[in-house]
Amino acid sequence: MSYLNNPAIVMDNGTGLTKLGYAGNDSPSWIFPTSIATSQASGAKTSSNQSNTASGAASSGGSGQINNPYFGNSTSATSFGNNLSSNNLLLSNNLAGKRGTEDLDFYIGNEALIASQGPSYSLSYPIRHGQIENWDHMERFWENSIFKYLRAEPEDHFFLLTEPPLNPPENREQVAEIFFESFNCAGLYIAVQAVLALAASWTSSQVTDRSLTGTVIDSGDGVTHVIPVAEGYVIGSAIKNIPIAGRDITLFIQSLLRERGEADTSLRTAERIKQEYCYVCPDIVKEFNKFDRQPEKFAQFIIENQDKTKQKVVDIGYERFLAPEIFFNPEIASSDFLTPLPTVVDHTIQACPIDVRKGLYNNIVLSGGSTMFKDFSRRLQRDIKSIVNSRIIQNEAVTGVKSTGVDVQVISHRKQRNAVWFGGSLLAQTAEFKSYCHTKKDYEEYGPEIVRNFSLFNMV
Amino acid sequence: MLHLRSHNLLIQKTLSEAYEANEKGAPLTLDRIVSDFDYTTFHITNTPDNKVILWVSIRTKAWQSVLQCDPNNGLVSFLQSKYANAAGVSVSNNTEPGYDFTLQIDLNALNQDSIVQVSLLKTMVLSFPFHLAFQEFAQLCTLPIPEDGSSIDSKTLYAIQHRDDEQFFIKASNDRITVIFETVFQDETDKVLGKVFLQEFVDARKRNRSIQSAPQVLVSHEPPLELQNQKTTRNVQADSSRRFITFVLFPRHFQTEELQFSSVSQLTLFRNYFHYHIKCSKAYMHSRMRFRVDTFVKVLNRAKVDDEEEDNESETQQHTRRTITGRKMVY
Repeated sequence: MSYLNNPAIVMDNGTGLTKLGYAGNDSPSWIFPTSIATSQASGAKTSSNQSNTASGAASSGGSGQINNPYFGNSTSATSFGNNLSSNNLLLSNNLAGKRGTEDLDFYIGNEALIASQGPSYSLSYPIRHGQIENWDHMERFWENSIFKYLRAEPEDHFFLLTEPPLNPPENREQVAEIFFESFNCAGLYIAVQAVLALAASWTSSQVTDRSLTGTVIDSGDGVTHVIPVAEGYVIGSAIKNIPIAGRDITLFIQSLLRERGEADTSLRTAERIKQEYCYVCPDIVKEFNKFDRQPEKFAQFIIENQDKTKQKVVDIGYERFLAPEIFFNPEIASSDFLTPLPTVVDHTIQACPIDVRKGLYNNIVLSGGSTMFKDFSRRLQRDIKSIVNSRIIQNEAVTGVKSTGVDVQVISHRKQRNAVWFGGSLLAQTAEFKSYCHTKKDYEEYGPEIVRNFSLFNMV
Repeated sequence: MLHLRSHNLLIQKTLSEAYEANEKGAPLTLDRIVSDFDYTTFHITNTPDNKVILWVSIRTKAWQSVLQCDPNNGLVSFLQSKYANAAGVSVSNNTEPGYDFTLQIDLNALNQDSIVQVSLLKTMVLSFPFHLAFQEFAQLCTLPIPEDGSSIDSKTLYAIQHRDDEQFFIKASNDRITVIFETVFQDETDKVLGKVFLQEFVDARKRNRSIQSAPQVLVSHEPPLELQNQKTTRNVQADSSRRFITFVLFPRHFQTEELQFSSVSQLTLFRNYFHYHIKCSKAYMHSRMRFRVDTFVKVLNRAKVDDEEEDNESETQQHTRRTITGRKMVY
C-alpha cells in the first residue's frame, strides 16, 4: 500500500480559474482557466492540423522554451498574457486522419485559449456560476489535468475537490461517479469552498482559535458571495450574492479610461491597472483632495507591444481608489444594485440564528482575488462596526438594557487569493484526512449516494 | 492531449519560475512537493543557508530494484555522468532524509536545457537498467554467431519493481533487447478494456503497413520464456488477470543516443500511457451514455400527458403532435 505515502491532490475548479496542486504545498501548482477547446466538425480541421505537425515534432524532443504556454499561473480567465506568440508550441496530436477519435482531440487551460484562436477548435467553459454544466467536457478536463499536468495515477492518490455552497447532492453524486468509475481514484473528499476558506484563515496571526464558524466573503471574477458558516455547516438560507465582482471593477476602470480618452483602453490594460495600482481609501472626499494636492499620486502605466518597439503611456488617476470603492458605494458604477457590501454582510448575519451571530461578526474571512485590494479589510471592518454600533445604541435606547458589545473582526491573510485551495491543502495534508475520505471500496459497497455526507474535519 | 511528455512539466515550471525570479534578483523561497507516476515524489526546496542553491530530491518505488540491477553500484555514478554536462546541476553528496537521491542546483548557472534535464530525473533513474542492457548488447554483438542461427542470450535479467504489484524486465541478446511488462488491473472494467487495448497493440503492427519498423509486441497470460527462472514473489489472487506484454527492440531502435533516449522514455511511460488511454475511453463511453440517457428522457417527455388538455381537447387529441422536447406542435 505505498499509495499511502503519496500526497493528496487538491483540485479547486472555479468558474473562471482552476487551481490544482498537491497537498502540503503553500500555493497551487497549476492555475489555469477552466476552459476546454474541443474540435469542431472533423472536416475543417484536417489542414490546420497537418501544418502543425512539423512544429509539434520539433518541440517534442523536450527542449524547454521560456514562454511555454504551460507556464505562468493565470490571474485572468479570459486572457493569457504573453502567450500570444507561442501558437506553434501546441503539440499536434495528429489525430485528424483517424476516424472516431474526435473525443480525444481537445486542449484544456491556457492551451485551450491558444487553440481556440485557430479555426478548428471551439472554446467552452464547463463550469457556470460555480456549478458544472457540461459533464462530458468536465470529465475530459479532469482526465487531462490529472494525467498531463499533475502526472498522477489517480489510483494512487486521494483527492480533495471543492464545490460551491448549495450545490445539489445530485451533482456530488455525478462527481463521485466520474472519480470512482472513470478514474478509480483511491479516495475522495468533497469540501464546500467557504469552509475551506475559513480553514485557510487559520494561518493569519489574527486568528487565535481554529473554529469553523465565520462569515466568508468570496469575491472572484463573476460574483461575490457572502456565506455564513456555523461549525462547519453552511447556513444556506442566509447566503447572499452581490452582482459586483472583479469583472465589474475592470469594466469600471475601462469606462473611466475611455472617458478620459487614454491611449489604450483594452480590458487587459484595465485588468492590470486594477491588479497593480488599486487600493481602498478610508474617505473618498479626502482622497480626492489628497490627489489634487499631491500630483505624484497619479501613476503612469506603460504598455509595450510585443517586440518592445513602441510604447503607450496610460495615465492612472482617481480610479486607483475609485474602482474598489464600488463595493462600498455601488451607485457610482451600477444603477440596479445599490446595497453596499458592509450592509449586505450585516443583513446576512442578521438572517442567521441569534446564537451564532457573535461568532459570525467576530470572524469575517476574505477569499478570492477581488478582495486583495490594500486596506480592503480595514475599511470593511470599520463600516460593519459602525453599522453594528449604531444598532446597539438604538437597542439600548429602546430597551434600556446595557449591551455587552459585539466584536467585529475582518480577517485578511496572505493566502487570500487562493484561499480555498490553500485551505484544502492544509486539511488534506493532515494525517486524519484519509480517514475522512470515502474510498473506492466504500463506493462500491454503497453506491454514489455515499458522497451525500462527509464527516467534517474537527481540527483542534 | 493524448501525448504524455517524458519530462515532468511541473518540475520544469517550478524551476523556470525560480530561475526567472532569481534573474530579477529576488530568489523564491521554495518548499514544494511534486509527484509523478508510479509512487514517485519529488521535493524541491532551498538549501537552509542559501536561496540560490536548490535541492531537488526524488523518492521512487523503482529505486531499490534499479539499484540492485548493477552489482557494482553504478547507478549514482551513471546519474552523475548524465548530469555532468548540465549547467548548474550537480549531484549532492548528502541525500535528503526520506528520499533516494538529491540533485543540487545552482540557479545562477542554470539554463533552460538543464532545467529540462532535471525534470527528466525519473526517466534518468529508470533508464539505468536499459543503459546496462545496451552495454551488454554491444558485448554480445561481438561474439561469433552460433552455427545453428540461434541467439546468444545474456545471463542476467534486469527486474525493476516499479509498482507494488507490477514489475518490468529487460533482457539483452545478441540481436535484440527484450522488454517485458507485467500488468494487473484492480478494476473489472479496466480489465476488459485493457484486454482490448493489449490485443490492439499486437494487431496494429500486422494491420498497418506504415508502422512495420515499430518494435514487435506480444501479449501472453503465461510468463514468457525469458522469465522462467524468475522466482515468483507475487500476489496469487491477482495472478489470473496478470498479462505479460513483450516489446522486442531491434538494433535499429537503439542505434544512436537519441534513439536510445526516445525508446527508453516511451517504454518507461508505457504503463501510464496505457492506463491513461483506458480512462479516456471510459470517459468517452460515459459521454455516449449521457447522450443516450438524454434521448431517452426526450422520448419520455414526449409521452407525457398534460391533465388540462385531456379535458377540453379530447376530440382533437389525435391531432396534437409533440416535438421532441414534449412541446405541442403549433399548426
